[in-house]
Amino acid sequence: MTRLNIENLNAGYGNKQILNDISLTVEQGEMIALLGPSGCGKTTLLNALCGFVPVSGGKIKVGNRDITTLPAENRNITMVFQSYALWPHMTVAQNVGYGLKVQKVAREEIEERVHELLSIVRLAGLANDKVTTLSGGQRQRVALARALAIRPDVLVLDEPLSNLDAKVRLNVRHEIKALQKQLGFTSLIVTHDQEEALVMADRIAVLNKGQIEQLGRPEEIYQSPKTPFVANFMGAENQIVWTPELESSILTGNSEALFVSRPTNLTANQQVFFRSENVTLITNTSRFDNDNSVLSLRGHVMQSAFFGNNYRISVQCGEHIIQADHTCDLPANTPVLLSVPAHALHVYDIETSFKSNAYATIQTSTSFQTI
Amino acid sequence: MHSNHQHQPEPSVMKKCKCFFDAFNSRMSFWSQCVFILIFALILFGPITNLLIWTVAETWYFPNALPSQWGMKYWYQVFNPYSDVSGSLLTSIFIAVLTVIVCLLVSVPAGYALSKHSMPFRVFWMLLFLIPQAFPNLTVYMNIARLFYDVGLNGTIVGVVIVHSVHGLMFSVWICVAAFASTDPMLERASRNLGAGPIYTFFHIVLPQAAPGIIASCIFVFLESLDEFTGTFFVGAPDITTLPLLLYTASMEGNYQIASITALILLVPSILFMLLINRFMKPEMLAKIGK
Repeated sequence: MTRLNIENLNAGYGNKQILNDISLTVEQGEMIALLGPSGCGKTTLLNALCGFVPVSGGKIKVGNRDITTLPAENRNITMVFQSYALWPHMTVAQNVGYGLKVQKVAREEIEERVHELLSIVRLAGLANDKVTTLSGGQRQRVALARALAIRPDVLVLDEPLSNLDAKVRLNVRHEIKALQKQLGFTSLIVTHDQEEALVMADRIAVLNKGQIEQLGRPEEIYQSPKTPFVANFMGAENQIVWTPELESSILTGNSEALFVSRPTNLTANQQVFFRSENVTLITNTSRFDNDNSVLSLRGHVMQSAFFGNNYRISVQCGEHIIQADHTCDLPANTPVLLSVPAHALHVYDIETSFKSNAYATIQTSTSFQTI
Repeated sequence: MHSNHQHQPEPSVMKKCKCFFDAFNSRMSFWSQCVFILIFALILFGPITNLLIWTVAETWYFPNALPSQWGMKYWYQVFNPYSDVSGSLLTSIFIAVLTVIVCLLVSVPAGYALSKHSMPFRVFWMLLFLIPQAFPNLTVYMNIARLFYDVGLNGTIVGVVIVHSVHGLMFSVWICVAAFASTDPMLERASRNLGAGPIYTFFHIVLPQAAPGIIASCIFVFLESLDEFTGTFFVGAPDITTLPLLLYTASMEGNYQIASITALILLVPSILFMLLINRFMKPEMLAKIGK
């Protein structure tokens, strides 16, 4: 296990460029999550690392070894495939021992290693079972054991949990994390689930359109997303574009105005993102503090949905629809006052030329929310 | 009141009527089904029954509906170690096995290559194997025979095997392409990923996955070769005598007993292998044929 160094990597299929100038270093024993929506290039990055997608520019290094142009079999980077890709004509033990058999390791040694790995992934009794008889979670663990058997320099996991049902997924998530801590392998995990990334990874790289938008510890990514995309992807789904018109409307101090107050760090031609959990909702619309540390706005309830620990209330505020978490259910059309503390707001400048674009985003997110 | 009565017959009467019609209908459908099945059976099994009777008939002349003398005489004759039949049976099987081997050697690599969509002129190659089937058999084989005559392949086992292979390759290549196309490319990737080279991967991962399809194609080729007549006739006769050729000569000589017994012998591998194919041909694979 050594560090993995990706320098200015470019890759794609045919004429279609998918990865643009990706640079990333995975330290020895570190687990980095590649997080992004589908089509952002995260799986392509793994395939480029494993040698399944040709690299059109840049370098991949494992330790001091340049593996950019090596064939797949000489890279010593193993993958846990999304579909597991277990060989159905082999038993569990044959699957796990395959990599060692290829290396012509002595049979007793293979048996020993297979036994060791199967006990690590808690499948000790199943060595001679056909893989086709296993459950999803068990197959997942066989795939993991198989990938670890040859002691790879780097382990990459391609959406390893996406084929499991919710409950098994939580278990396997912790198992993989625990294994990673225990064995200390350098690894990259691809996921589109932000929670999965937050829980499992030491660092997260958020990918968008073949580029890394932000790289950082889970706390950093969650609490201070650097770009609107990261903020939105990490769950800050409420977005307000702070136009000069809104800025001027707030200065009138009208008691009927949509926006009651704004924090001082928000100025015109900026956009602001925040999470529904940070929104405080009060039904007494006449009582408010006009201070400069909160963004507060008026609206009325459109609908509410039960989320178990709370209700998620959709509030119509002029043309915006804001999601707010609240402890109890509210009937539709209840007038409410929403306030968000300044520290929970993620504020970004927008270029004036992008303004119409940003409005379009609002429109699409609005229509999504009403569904 | 009266009209009312007319429109509504007593329930019991109506029930009886209905019962009668139901019974009539079901009886009718039963008999019509019987007749249908009988006709169907006659069409299917009539010729076979005739053939079966011929195998145990020692003398059977025209006006008689059934043979005048029954017996197993011709069976002894056929299974006599010095008879033409056992000799040509061996030749047939020998040629069929060689044909299968030749077809395998071509269609396994060809099937693997053609199953990859990156292969240039893929459709062209696929159609190439169909071309011999596109022309009338007779003209193709006559021309092959003429060519073989020039190079001295006429009347040799090699010549017959080549002719059978041309015919068999159509089946084996198309089925092998389907068999390889239905394997999961991720399994191949997983093998490369764990350090296996392309050749090791092919023999340990890809081939076992495609094996059922390849076996099915072998069976098709074997059966086709066993039953092949036209090509063998033009290229092989009179030096090479396979079972179908023997059958032909026996029929031409009016020796229906020998012909029928030979036909029965030819039926055995067909039925056995058809059962096997039934096991090996997976619907997923059939769906990939020609893709």
